[in-house]
Amino acid sequence: MDGADRKGSMMIKVITMVLALAFALSAVPDAQAAKSKRVSVTGEIVDTWCYVTEIMYGLGTAHHQCAVWCAAGGIPVSVKDKAGNIYVVLKVEGDASNVANSRILNIQTHKVTVDGDLYERDGVKYLIVTKVANDQGIVNLTHDEYGIQPFGK
Amino acid sequence: MIIKKIFCFIFLAALLFGSGVSQAAEEWGIDHEKKARFEAKVVDVLCELSGDCPANCGGGERQLGLLKDDGTLILAVKNVDAFAGAVNDLIGFCQKRIVADGLLINNPKAPLFALQFKKLAPDGRWSRAGQFGKDWSKANGGKKGSEWFKNDSTIKKVISENGVYGILGLKAKE
Repeated sequence: MDGADRKGSMMIKVITMVLALAFALSAVPDAQAAKSKRVSVTGEIVDTWCYVTEIMYGLGTAHHQCAVWCAAGGIPVSVKDKAGNIYVVLKVEGDASNVANSRILNIQTHKVTVDGDLYERDGVKYLIVTKVANDQGIVNLTHDEYGIQPFGK
Repeated sequence: MIIKKIFCFIFLAALLFGSGVSQAAEEWGIDHEKKARFEAKVVDVLCELSGDCPANCGGGERQLGLLKDDGTLILAVKNVDAFAGAVNDLIGFCQKRIVADGLLINNPKAPLFALQFKKLAPDGRWSRAGQFGKDWSKANGGKKGSEWFKNDSTIKKVISENGVYGILGLKAKE
């Protein structure tokens, strides 16, 4: 093998390695690659578990006490919009905690409009609330129909 | 004779529970539920998505997820205690690989995971995912963790201020 052949062979090896590396890197999930989208969401603050699983009626005044229990117990809280989309709240304005957050406890079941950054990952919509733009309080009166969920009085 | 039986019982119990006998998830009768056991790394979900990463996964102040090797992020929302999440069970495993056992709720509204058992991967000892109740009991003078929600001072304050329906003074129709 003369010098030119060796040089050509080396080039092919380098190109092959670069291509292999590029392929390998593209296949590795990038934890920080998620891109957010600015959104404004209007809906009811709900307990994620009770609403999604439908293990009980999980909306409005009928479910308020249970929603407070679940939020205090550290279950993620979500905003449910009119279309039924669930936005799991990961941060509220400057608060450091998203587990049993005291501000959320006090506005549980309220109808709110929030501005924030939306991340979508593996079927879940996650919301970082940058501003609670409007808080209408509790407007979904469901207790006459559903009583007090889940145990009654 | 009785002492011999007691020793035999203790020996068998140690053999069963001390040797890491596998625990298995039970069905809860929820729509879209599926028993699942998988290895994953415990991560702070907000950190994983946005790069906002406090030390030790937020030390119990952040919702935690399970990041599988294929990059799938699973939101762990529930443990086996009534009305409680999975953070207390997972925070001790921050950034570590565990074997999680529980129920995947593949509801189109949002896929969620209920943790029932966990162990350090691959050969740790199984433990039931009931840490919230234990921690609450310890922080509340040994009161029963199973009924934490009836006795929690934060909850009592919120309900006394806003009422059981969230609107003070609102009553159900007779």
